[in-house]
Amino acid sequence: MKFFCLEDFKVEFEKLISKKAYSTLEQDLINYFFGKSAQELCSGTRLNNSDKTPYIKKRLKGSGGYRFYFLLILKDESLYFMFSHPKIGPMGGINITDESKAYLYKKILRCIKTNDLYKLENLNRKIIFRKVKKVKS
Amino acid sequence: MECISHKLEIEKTFTNVRALSFNEKKSPLLDKERINSFLDAILDFKSLLKEKTDKLNHINERIEKLTWFNDLDDECLMLINDLISAAKDLQSTLIRQYVSMNFLRKKGVVKDEIKEFKNSIDELKEAYEDLESVFFFLPEFPDFIETTKQLSLV
Repeated sequence: MKFFCLEDFKVEFEKLISKKAYSTLEQDLINYFFGKSAQELCSGTRLNNSDKTPYIKKRLKGSGGYRFYFLLILKDESLYFMFSHPKIGPMGGINITDESKAYLYKKILRCIKTNDLYKLENLNRKIIFRKVKKVKS
Repeated sequence: MECISHKLEIEKTFTNVRALSFNEKKSPLLDKERINSFLDAILDFKSLLKEKTDKLNHINERIEKLTWFNDLDDECLMLINDLISAAKDLQSTLIRQYVSMNFLRKKGVVKDEIKEFKNSIDELKEAYEDLESVFFFLPEFPDFIETTKQLSLV
């Protein structure tokens, strides 16, 4: 599996893991996502009625845990993180609106087309973000 | 005279203490039997709550899986709409039950089980709201379906 993300995801993720309340987030992400096949990651709430490119909202660690929004492109074995948020703690909040879900969906399509993405790597159980070379749209 | 009345009073008091002491030894306030039946009632309540939570978690998983169904016709969508209404009704009943457990929660009785029960109620709310978004609201957003088409060509 290859993992990518929007810049919004990277910014939010780095902000979260710097807080003590969310110190397990990085390991939770690695434990759940890394080392699984694309098919195994087809779990959660599918938002877009697509078998080939499911847009998924995944609840991690139950109602008080985290929510991850990501897109899977099964033929490429690629996963694109779009957004994540905790449900509790100092940065916890209610789920994102349908407007935001629709906005992120359009944004990921645009960013995939222009390569405006970061690649995620698991280096000794630490997430490393590397900017993907952008192409002109 | 005074001495006789004192003696009587002492004897009466002695009789009272003696009777009470005897009765208390025979039947203390927290005898083993009463404590056991009290603990049994707590255990019964715990297992009832766990059973409710498990049922709810199972329902939540089933609702989530429905979002993976494709191309539902109007009849199916109508059923989904009914399911959302029933789930809303269930959630409001369960929240009332949860509120009625406040006195137990404040005293720290069955605290973990009540917390798990509340989490599963919150997940039910999230599950039916997501179901509504997936089948009724998101497809209505401009370009949402078009984005799906374009993504399949990437």
